[in-house]
Amino acid sequence: MNTLTGQISTIEVNGSLALITTRVNDVFFTAIIVETPETASYLKLGATIKVLFKETEVIIATQTPEYLSLQNKVIGQVTQVDKGVLLSKLVINTSVGDIVSVITTKAVNQLGLTKGNHVTAMIKTNEILLSE
Amino acid sequence: MIQLLLHKKLHTAKGMMPLDIDLAITPGEFVTLYGASGAGKTSTLRMISGLLTPDNGKLVVNDVVWLDTSKKTNLKPQQRKLGFVFQDYALFPNMSVLKNLEYALEKHQDNSIITELIDMMELGELQHQKPSTLSGGQQQRVALARALVQQPEILLLDEPLSALDTKMRIKLQDYILKVHQKYKLTTILVSHNIGEIIKLSDRVCLLEQGKIIKSGIPSTIFATHQMSAKFQFTGEVLSIQKEEVVFIVTVLIGTNVVKVIAQESEIANLTTGDTVIVASKAFNPVIQKVL
Repeated sequence: MNTLTGQISTIEVNGSLALITTRVNDVFFTAIIVETPETASYLKLGATIKVLFKETEVIIATQTPEYLSLQNKVIGQVTQVDKGVLLSKLVINTSVGDIVSVITTKAVNQLGLTKGNHVTAMIKTNEILLSE
Repeated sequence: MIQLLLHKKLHTAKGMMPLDIDLAITPGEFVTLYGASGAGKTSTLRMISGLLTPDNGKLVVNDVVWLDTSKKTNLKPQQRKLGFVFQDYALFPNMSVLKNLEYALEKHQDNSIITELIDMMELGELQHQKPSTLSGGQQQRVALARALVQQPEILLLDEPLSALDTKMRIKLQDYILKVHQKYKLTTILVSHNIGEIIKLSDRVCLLEQGKIIKSGIPSTIFATHQMSAKFQFTGEVLSIQKEEVVFIVTVLIGTNVVKVIAQESEIANLTTGDTVIVASKAFNPVIQKVL
């Protein structure tokens, strides 16, 4: 699990859903959750919170695309590539710390990903968990 | 109301440990004592039952004083209206199921309760068999029925299901809930199984070194932190297997086996048999009607 710590900067509520923006250093992460400040005490503006997402949910691009629906984008440099037969693990050094991504080895080969490459790591809004 | 105030210096394997229990229980409540071995859980049950006498303390059950060391009141175990079920079934091996139950009857007690318990615990077909011919789960059903013969106010359960396999354990949990509700019992359970505690108890008390350090609703007490994951289950790790750059963790949740992909950092202090929370966001699972 990738775990980052940040502060809640915006809370938008509609019914039992909430869209939460958390600032981690200079990056904003958006999460959609089935919780509201009424049901979860940790949802307070300015509160320190953990932003969690699985390694298998981190999408990698070699450029920062502007035409995707993805809200969470972090730029960084690949510092490690562990290639398996089907799956590979990448460690990306970013301004919010190391982010680990597990993608297919086919994808690593197609993009020609190697150590030192500059990449954008992306996570869908619904894949981000928030925790106290 | 049941008021417990128990103090006793216990001699344990690690030396002397003062047990210090102060607990108020509402009639009809299902309370579980949870903690490491040697924390004082079994000693607490034994003091409630009268098998062990505290150095000083008081035990009042629905306005009846069972124990008050300052007034030298101390009811004998058989004078206390309670039932006790242990991990080992402790049935009389030379008596049939029926005889085991009848043996528990008080003098002049109407034996219609036996028929009722045999019926409720579904022991009808087994009633003429000897305990040695029964499975562990069946024997524990008999032990549970026997503990209820004298229609106790309090039911004490000391790890009654820990020797049983998961399937049998779940079935017995249902029987326990059934009798707890039907006879409006106040039940005090000792258990190490978090899933079981969450399912059965209204309240869990965490015991550490002879003291209750925390108590509350089980699902809140056992959640290590609040998380925006709406798809959450507690389970037991069955195996951890490395596959290329990931690990596959197999977890038993109830009677279902699920698999979770994990990273090395997540399995670092995880071993087979550990209790874990498996969580996902409400957005991930798909749902399909079973035809």
